[in-house]
Amino acid sequence: MSLSRPLRFIAFIGVAITIASALNVAITKKSYSENYPAVVCPPTLPGLSSQISLSSRQTQFQRLQNRSTTTDMVKVLRLPVAKDSLLFDTQGSTPVAWQSRSGSWAGGVLCTGPVSSQWFVGASADITTKGRLIIVNSGLSEAIVDVQVFTENGKQPAKSLTVASKTYLVVPVDSLAPGDQRLTVNVVPRSGRINSFMIDEQGKGLRALGGDLINPINTPSRSLVIPAIPNQGKATDSAAATRHVLRVLTPGDVDASVTVELVSADGIFVPVGLNSRSIAAGVVTEFTFSPKISSAAFGLKLSSTEPIVAAVESSVATGGKRDFAWSTPAPELSEFTLALTGLSPLIAFVGAEINVALDLTLVNGKVIRKAIQGRDIVTWKVPDAARSIKITKVGAQTYAGALVSSVNGYGYFPIASGSVLTRVEIPDSNIRILNP
Amino acid sequence: MASQAAVDKHRVTAVLVSHNGAVWLPEVVAALTSQTRPIDFITAVDTGSQDSSTKLLKSARIPFINVDVETGFGQAVSLAVEKLPSPIDHEWIWLIHDDCAPAPSALAELLDAIDDRPQVVMVGPKLLGWHDRTHLLEAGVSIAGNGARWTGLEPLEYDQGQHDGNHDVLAVSTAGALIRRDVFEELGGLDPNLTLFRDDVDFGWRARAAGHSVMVATGAVAFHAQAAANERRSVEVAGAFLHRPLLLDRRNAAYVLLANSSWWILPWLVIQILGSAIARAIGYLIAKLPGYAADEILAVGVLITRPGSIIAARKVRRKQRFVSARVIASYIPPRWSQLRLASEGAIDAIRGKLFAGDSQNSSPSILDSDEDEDLLTPANTSQWLGVFKRPEVIGFTLIALISILNSRNRFGALVGGALPISPSGATDLWRTYFESWHQVGMGSTSATPTWVAITATASLFFLGKVQLLITTFFLVAPILMMYTSSKLLKHLTGNSWISIPAAFLYALSPVAIAAISTGHIATVLFMILAPYAALLLRDIEEIELYSWRKIAGISLLLALLYGFSLMIFVIALVAALISTLSDYEKHAIDANSGHYSLRLQKKAALVFLPFLMNVPYSLEAIVNPSRLLVEPGLLISGGGPFMALLGNPGGANALPVWLISPILLVLIISLFSTTHARRIAEYGVGALVLAVILAALSISTHGNEASSKVWPGPVLVLVTLASVASGTVLLDRLRETLVLSHVHYRHILSALLLFATFTYSVLAIGWTATKGADSLVQANRETVMPAFLSVETNTKILVLREIGSKDDKKIQYYLSRGKDISLGEPDVAPAQTPAIAEAARGLIDGSGVSSSATLSNFGVKYLFVKAPFKREIIRSIDGLGGFSRTSATSLGVVWKVTTSASRLMFVGADGVRKELQAGEVGARTYVPSAGTLILTETYNRSWQILENGYRLDRSKNEQGLPTFTVTEPGEISLIHDGTIRRGWLSLQLILFVVVLVMALPAGRRKSDISEKELA
Repeated sequence: MSLSRPLRFIAFIGVAITIASALNVAITKKSYSENYPAVVCPPTLPGLSSQISLSSRQTQFQRLQNRSTTTDMVKVLRLPVAKDSLLFDTQGSTPVAWQSRSGSWAGGVLCTGPVSSQWFVGASADITTKGRLIIVNSGLSEAIVDVQVFTENGKQPAKSLTVASKTYLVVPVDSLAPGDQRLTVNVVPRSGRINSFMIDEQGKGLRALGGDLINPINTPSRSLVIPAIPNQGKATDSAAATRHVLRVLTPGDVDASVTVELVSADGIFVPVGLNSRSIAAGVVTEFTFSPKISSAAFGLKLSSTEPIVAAVESSVATGGKRDFAWSTPAPELSEFTLALTGLSPLIAFVGAEINVALDLTLVNGKVIRKAIQGRDIVTWKVPDAARSIKITKVGAQTYAGALVSSVNGYGYFPIASGSVLTRVEIPDSNIRILNP
Repeated sequence: MASQAAVDKHRVTAVLVSHNGAVWLPEVVAALTSQTRPIDFITAVDTGSQDSSTKLLKSARIPFINVDVETGFGQAVSLAVEKLPSPIDHEWIWLIHDDCAPAPSALAELLDAIDDRPQVVMVGPKLLGWHDRTHLLEAGVSIAGNGARWTGLEPLEYDQGQHDGNHDVLAVSTAGALIRRDVFEELGGLDPNLTLFRDDVDFGWRARAAGHSVMVATGAVAFHAQAAANERRSVEVAGAFLHRPLLLDRRNAAYVLLANSSWWILPWLVIQILGSAIARAIGYLIAKLPGYAADEILAVGVLITRPGSIIAARKVRRKQRFVSARVIASYIPPRWSQLRLASEGAIDAIRGKLFAGDSQNSSPSILDSDEDEDLLTPANTSQWLGVFKRPEVIGFTLIALISILNSRNRFGALVGGALPISPSGATDLWRTYFESWHQVGMGSTSATPTWVAITATASLFFLGKVQLLITTFFLVAPILMMYTSSKLLKHLTGNSWISIPAAFLYALSPVAIAAISTGHIATVLFMILAPYAALLLRDIEEIELYSWRKIAGISLLLALLYGFSLMIFVIALVAALISTLSDYEKHAIDANSGHYSLRLQKKAALVFLPFLMNVPYSLEAIVNPSRLLVEPGLLISGGGPFMALLGNPGGANALPVWLISPILLVLIISLFSTTHARRIAEYGVGALVLAVILAALSISTHGNEASSKVWPGPVLVLVTLASVASGTVLLDRLRETLVLSHVHYRHILSALLLFATFTYSVLAIGWTATKGADSLVQANRETVMPAFLSVETNTKILVLREIGSKDDKKIQYYLSRGKDISLGEPDVAPAQTPAIAEAARGLIDGSGVSSSATLSNFGVKYLFVKAPFKREIIRSIDGLGGFSRTSATSLGVVWKVTTSASRLMFVGADGVRKELQAGEVGARTYVPSAGTLILTETYNRSWQILENGYRLDRSKNEQGLPTFTVTEPGEISLIHDGTIRRGWLSLQLILFVVVLVMALPAGRRKSDISEKELA
C-alpha cells in the first residue's frame, strides 16, 4: 500500500490547523470606557462656611442650583462655597470639603462619587442636637432614597424620601428618631445619583457644644480600622485623659462579639472592657474609654464575629473652645490623589508594616517625594503649603486618617479615594438578550 | 347458418367495424367464423382504412361497406343495420370491433344468458386482455360522477372468475355487445355525437331509462386490444379535435353525464366535471404529460362552448325515458367506492415503493412448506425472548432511554441557546414568512429563510402547534439519527453488531449532543438526513450517469437542507469545486470535454438548483456572506478550530474538551486501510479540513453585533458520518482478518480503537444523562420582557441586560417590540442603528445626556434594565435625565422616556410633535393639519402613506427615518408595499413546483406503453 496518499491527507489537516491558527485571532470580547465619576461636595447650610480643597485650578465644576449642565473651571485651589452643593470633575483627585461654624466647630469630609449605601455612625436625636442629614441628588432624574435609622432602642421604621433632580434635601437629625441619643443612619438610594452627608452639631441653649461632619462608611465589615483618633490628654494625668466614645452597631440579625485593639505610639493594647464585648444586633451600643497614652493620635482596630459599623467620638478642645470629632473607619489605603490645599492635616498611618511612598505637591507646583515607613502607627504632618498628596506606593493592610485642627474646631476625615476609576463596559447590540 | 335457426329462436347479425385494424383483423375474423353457435349473418363497415383491412375482409368473404374516414363507430353500425333486411322477432345485432376477438363459445353463452330474460336488450361478454388473456378488462361498465369510466376493477386485475356470473349492469362495451335490433332502432342507435368512446355507456343508460335491461354474461369471453383507447391507432372520427383520444374520451364522458343525468343534478355535475378535469390536469402536469393535461381542460372547454348538442340530446332522451332516474342511480358507482379504490391504489403504490425489497424476503409460499415436518416440529414458545437480544432492539431502546433522560428538562415549550421561543401557532410562522416588513429592532426587510415555511408546514402534522413540533423533534432526534445512520451502515456491513453500535455512536456523537443541547435545528436535521443524502449520493463519482430526475430529487433534499443552513451550500460548493478541478485533470485534458461538460452541468445543477429554490434568502446571503455560515435562530459561538479538530463543535453546552471522541483517530487509521474505508475517510478528512478552517472564522449577524466564532456543526456532521462509516467498514473487514491471523500490531490497534470508543461511549452516556440535561435549551422558562410592557402593542423598548457565564458577563442591548423574540425573528434581525448604539453606550457609562432625546427620535418609549444588573448602571441612568422611573421589580427597572415617542409622529407647522396611533405594520389614522409625518422605522422605499388616494412625498430625515410631507388634514393610510416580497415568493414557489415535477416519476403516454404491459 502506498503511504503517500494517506500522508498527504494528514498533511492537509496540518495545513488546515496552520491556516486556522492564523485566522483564529482572539476576539476582543469586551471593550471598556474608563473614567472617574464626578464627585459631589456637601452644600453649605446657613450659618456655616465651607471651603473645598482642590488639586488643580483647571478642575471643572457644576452647580446644583439650576438644572443647567454647563460646567465652569474653579480657577483656585481652595474654593469657598456660599450655598450650593457642587459637582466636580476631578479626574481621580479627591477633594476635601472643610466646613465650620465660626467659633463653634469645624469638620472635614471627602467629596465622593455616588454610592449605593452610606452608613453614618454618629449624632444623636436628643434635645441637644442641631444635626442635619443632607441628601444630594446630582442626577437629572428624580431620586428615591430609603433612610434606615438605628438607635439604642433598635431598628427604627425606614423612611423613603424623594429628592428632586439636581437638588438636595436637608433632614433634621432629631426628626429621624426623636429623643434617642445614639444614632446610626443608613442611606440607601433606591433610584437616582445620590450622595449623603451628615453634620452632627450639639448645643445646649445658646451654648455650642461643638460639631463635626461625619464621614460615611460604605459597607459593614467584620474588621474595621479607625486610623486616626485625636488624643489631647496626658498619659500621666488620668483626670485630664481625653474621653472617647466608641459607637458600634451590628446591622444584621445576629449579635456580634467585638474586640477592640488600640494602636498608638505608646504601644498596642486592648482597652479595659473592650475585649470580646457582645453587641446586640440592631442596637447602637456605646463604650467609653479614656486611654492613658501620650500620643496625639491613635488608631483602633476592631474585629467582630459579624459585620459591624463603628466610629469614635472624641472630645477635643481648640483655642479654648470645646469641640468633638467623629473618627470613622478608613478603607485600606490605595494609590490615589487627595487634595489638601489649606488643610495641613496630621495623617496617621496604621498597619503592621507601614511602607507608603507619596508625592507631595505644594501650592507652587513643586513635588516632593516622601517615604513613610514604620510599624503599627506612624504620623506625618503635612506641610502648610501642600496642595495635594499622591499615594504612589502602599503596602498591604495599611490604613490612614487625617486630623485637622483649625481656629474653629477639630476635624477628621479618612484618607480614601472619593472617586474610584470606573471601568464601564461598552455594550454590544445583541438580540439574544430578548431570549430567556 | 340456417340450420342454427332451428336450434334457437334468435337471429344474430354480426356487425364488424374496422379501421386500420389489419393487425388484429385476421384473428377477429377467425374468431367469428369459429363460433360454436354460428353467426347468422356477418356484415362489415370499413371507415377509410389505409392498411390491408379491406383486403382481409374481402379475402374472408365478409360483405362490407366503405365509408368516410370520419365516420363514427355508431354511425357505421347504423349504416350497416340500415342495409340489413327488415327486422324480425328475436333479431340481434352483435357489435364487433376489429380489435376484439370473441372466444368460440361467446355467442352461444350470450344467447344462453338472454334466453329466458326477455327484458334484456343488451348483453356483453367479459372482456379480457388481448395479449395477457388473464387480464380482466371489463365485466360491465358504468360511469363515475366525474366522468371516469368505471369498471369496478383494480388495475391489471387478474381474472380468477371472481366476477363471474350474469349481472345486471348499466352498460356493456360495444366490443362484443349483443343488442336487440328493434330496441337499437327504436332508440336511434348509438348517439351520433359520440363518434367514439362512451357510446356504449350512453346506449346502456338510454336503454335502461327506456325500461329495458342490460346485462353482462361472463360465460361469454372476448379479447379486446382497446386499440383506440391505448393509442395503437390514430383517432380520425369527426369531432375528434386534434385527433386526440383522451380529449375525445373526456369530452364524451362529460357529454354522457350531462345528456343523461337529471336536470337538478346538472350544476353539481358541472362543478364535479370541471374540478376533476383540473385535478387530473394537474396530475398529468406533475407526471410531465402536458398533452394529456391539455386534453382534460380542452374536453370540458369544447363542451361548454357548444351547449347546443347537449340540449338537443337531452330533448331526445326525455322522449325515450320511461323509468325514474332512481333506477339508473343504482348502477352509478357510489362516491365511497371510488374513493376506496383510489385510496387502495395509492396505498398499494406507496407500499410498493417503500417495501420494494420486501417481496424478495417475503415468507416462503405455503406451497413450499412441508406440513408433515411442521407437525413433527415442537412449538418454540420462548423464541420471542430472542427479540430482546437483537442489536437493533438493544440499541434503539438504549438511545431512547438516553434521549428521555437527557430531555428531562425539555418537556414543554422549548427556548434557550440558539432557539427562540416558538409561536403558539403555525399562522405566526407563515406571517413571518410572507410579510415584507418585520417588526424586529428598528425593523427589517430581510428575507425570511425557507426553514420558517418548512417548519410551519411540518407543524400541520401537530395540528399547527409549533411548540409541540419542536419539543417532539428534539426528543426523537437521537432515535431518528440512529435510524437513518443504521440504514446507511447496513449497506456497508451485514453485521448488525457492528452497524447498530456504529449508528448508536453517531447519534451520541459530540456534534449531535451539542446541537440538541444548544438548539441548533439545522445541525440536528442534517444529522438525521445526512445518511439519506449519503445513500443518494453514494455513486456521486459517476454523476454523469445520474438521470435529471434523480438530480431533481436530490436537489429537493438539498434545498430542504439549504433552507435550514446555507453552510450546507458552502460544503456542496467546496466539494463541487474540488471535484471539478479533479475532473478537469482527468477528462478535459483527455479531450473528453463532452463527458466533462455533462458532469459539470449535473454538479452545477446539484449545487445551485437548491440554492435558487431558496431565493430570496439565498441571494441576500451573497450580499451578506456571514449568513452563509449560520444556523436558524440566535448566533451561538463555536469552540474554535481545535475543538472542531476533535469532531466537537465546542462552545457553550458542548461536550467538555476532556471527553474526546474517537472520530479523528478512526479517520486517520482508516486512511491507511486498504478497504473502501479509506475512500470514505478521505471524504471525512476533507470535511474535517473545512470544519477546522470555518471554526476559526468569526462572524456577526442575526442581530448580534459582537463577533462570534462560527459554529461548524453541519460540517462536523459529515466528519462524524464519515468516521462512523469508515470505522464500520474497517471493523467489518478487520474482524475477518483478525480472526484468521496471529496476534500482531493490528490486534493492538484494534483493541486501542475499541477501548477509546468504549470509553467515549460510557463517558458520553454518563455526561448526557446527567450534566447534559442542564442544557441551554430548556422548557417553560420565564420570559425576559415583563407582561406589563406588552400591553402597548409594538412599543419600542430599549432593553439592557447582562448575559454570559458567571465569570464572563457582558452588557448587551437590543430594541424590543414589547415581547421576547420568537422563532424566525433573529434570522431577519437588523444590525443596530449607530445613533441608538451611541445612546445605549451613554446610558452605561453615564455620558448619555442626549440618550433620552435620541431614543425619543427613534420612537423608543421605554428603557428596561433586566435584572440582575449592576446598581451603578441604574444610578447612571437615574442621573442622566430624560427618563422617569415607572417600575422597579424583581424583573428589572423600567424608565419611560419623558419626551413623546411613538411609531408614527406628526410634527405640525408649529413644530409641536404629536404621537399618532400606528401599532401594526400598516395603519390608518387621522392627521389634524399640514405638517410632517415621521415613521420611526428604518427607511425603506416600500413605505408609503396615502392620503385621499395620493401618495405623500417621502424623504429621509437626518436620523435616517422615513418622513412624509402632509399638505392637508385628513385620513391617511400607512402601508409597506410587499410586492417585491410576493414576487420573490412566487418565483420560489414556481421553482419548487418545477423541480418537484421533475423529481416525480414521469407518466407515459399510452402510445409509449408496450402491448405486453397494456394487456
